Amino acid sequence: MFYRLSGIHHTRYESASQLWPIPADRWQVYALLALALAAPLLVSDLYLTSYLLPWLIMTSAALSLTLLMGIAGQLHFGFAAVMAIGAYTSIHLVRFGLPFELALLGAGLMAALIGGVFGAAALRVKGLYLVMATLAMQYLVDWIIVNVPAISGGAQATLQTPRTTFLFLPLHKDEVRYYVALLWVVLVTLLILNIKRTSFGRALVAVRDKDFAAAVIGINIVRYKLMAFFTSSFLGGVTGAVLAYCFYQAVTPEQFSFNVSIQIVAMVLVGGLGSVLGAYLGAAFVLLVPIVLTNAVAYLAGLGLLSASTNLLAHIPLMVYGGLIIGFLLFEPLGLAKIYDNLRKYFLVWPFRHARS
Amino acid sequence: MAPSRDGAMTTKNSEAQGRGVVAKHQNAARDRVLVCESVSRWFGGLQALKEVDLVIARGEILGLVGPNGSGKTTLVNSITGFYPPQQGRILFEGQEIHRLKPHQIAQRGIARTFQNVALFKGMSVLDNILLGRHNFMRPSVLGSLFYWWWAQKEEVRQRAKVEEIIDLLQLESVRDEMVEYIPLGLQKRVELARALASEPRFLVLDEPMAGMNQEEKEYMVRFILDAHEALGLTILLIEHHMDVVTAICDRLVVLNNGVKIKEGTPHETINDPAVVAAYIGKVNHAA
Repeated sequence: MFYRLSGIHHTRYESASQLWPIPADRWQVYALLALALAAPLLVSDLYLTSYLLPWLIMTSAALSLTLLMGIAGQLHFGFAAVMAIGAYTSIHLVRFGLPFELALLGAGLMAALIGGVFGAAALRVKGLYLVMATLAMQYLVDWIIVNVPAISGGAQATLQTPRTTFLFLPLHKDEVRYYVALLWVVLVTLLILNIKRTSFGRALVAVRDKDFAAAVIGINIVRYKLMAFFTSSFLGGVTGAVLAYCFYQAVTPEQFSFNVSIQIVAMVLVGGLGSVLGAYLGAAFVLLVPIVLTNAVAYLAGLGLLSASTNLLAHIPLMVYGGLIIGFLLFEPLGLAKIYDNLRKYFLVWPFRHARS
Repeated sequence: MAPSRDGAMTTKNSEAQGRGVVAKHQNAARDRVLVCESVSRWFGGLQALKEVDLVIARGEILGLVGPNGSGKTTLVNSITGFYPPQQGRILFEGQEIHRLKPHQIAQRGIARTFQNVALFKGMSVLDNILLGRHNFMRPSVLGSLFYWWWAQKEEVRQRAKVEEIIDLLQLESVRDEMVEYIPLGLQKRVELARALASEPRFLVLDEPMAGMNQEEKEYMVRFILDAHEALGLTILLIEHHMDVVTAICDRLVVLNNGVKIKEGTPHETINDPAVVAAYIGKVNHAA
């Protein structure tokens, strides 16, 4: 109904391995991209900077983590610390006089180096023990940032991001901040999509699924685990810098606390492990659903339909939110992306139920 | 990283040691693809392999048989680097490999399949076989990022190679299926395809026909012989089906309790009293 599969026959390997081999899918993506580009004209500044912007940036974070957790299969519960390293590095580099573009690169490299060192733990441990190792990273990095004044500017301090430009555009303007975040999320999306269809991604998945079978076809397991940590931490570091400059325009250690790590893990899990679309949906779910629920409960209470104590009213959104997460994961453990995929496949061949995509 | 080809290896060694003698030695070494010299392996108090000697000649199909628990798979795991021998040496084309990691051994040109199918679930048949081409690809993050200018060429080139193997093993119809959804017989064939994709010179097949019916077995034998002939392979075959082993193997080696008890042509081997005794107990006491 929504798609026409008939008449699509790829006769070249290049076209068969496109990102979206079905034209209808491709047009859908172009339309979404056009909407995203036109967003500053379509929505108010408030929506742009307090809903769309954080959504895009946290999607980048979730995408960076899904490369590590979903594709390479290495659990990481300290990803906010990786982002913190990127954020603080970029601020100090710009203060030092480097242009913002180079500072982003430096932020990524610093995060990748430190993240890679902790990733070396992954060579020895798996599963829950890896969770512990990455948790240790979260607390160590937090502690160092808070207790080294040269980094944080002193305990409880807030570092304002210095005024700077990105490709000669002033970064304090709302539209510029939005477009920088959009550019970054598009870049990360393309990278992850391309990784998934090339030898690098296949090798990562092989190491994740059956490491002995990966070794027998010549894959160096140690090397690929480290590469996964390095790449993912690089992306996380740049995302941290983008978050600091484009959204908060300041950094404090609390912005990158353990809670944020858990939120990013939740985005990846609710969206669907290893899925690009899942990162978008998961980030939207984790960021936006609490806001929607709070507003909905306040609205119902305002209408007098929901009479409860203010204390309970404050907690109802949280309870519903928790219930929704459990519900979605029970209904489809592979996340929101899988739910979308099931629907898409259903309509792809509708009304012929037994035809296949 | 591409495995070093014969030519490169010969040149390197002959430069080091002087030509004529070494070239002759190299030829002899190259005719003996794999040499195991008194390989021993313990697991705690259990000695799984006791000083096993084995020589496999180029182009040969060697059958490795023996009752359950006789050490066949342990020997294969020693050769492929999973359980390095605690004593003895293993040489592949004249070079020691028993201290190498499994992936390094794979890069030298040894491929294997597993007794329990070890395919990557959630990936298509095509992607599984493409993974076999890993040694010929240069995966990199930047290559993936700039896919259209960088990785695409390589992907397409390797895809063409994979299609040749798909053609050889007649897997066209399941090319885009997820591996977990195809029947076991086909899964084993995909695993063979993945092993062949790495262009090995020496192939180890660990019970490629376990759990198959007669028809699937016949197909598999045909594909093994086809690959053997078309790709000039040397094959070590572990198999319990005696009809298969006697039909396609040039020589048999029999293991029992980690000891090599017999080596020879298939027919003289399976009729050997010691071998029969290992399988079904002593003939004298049976009556």
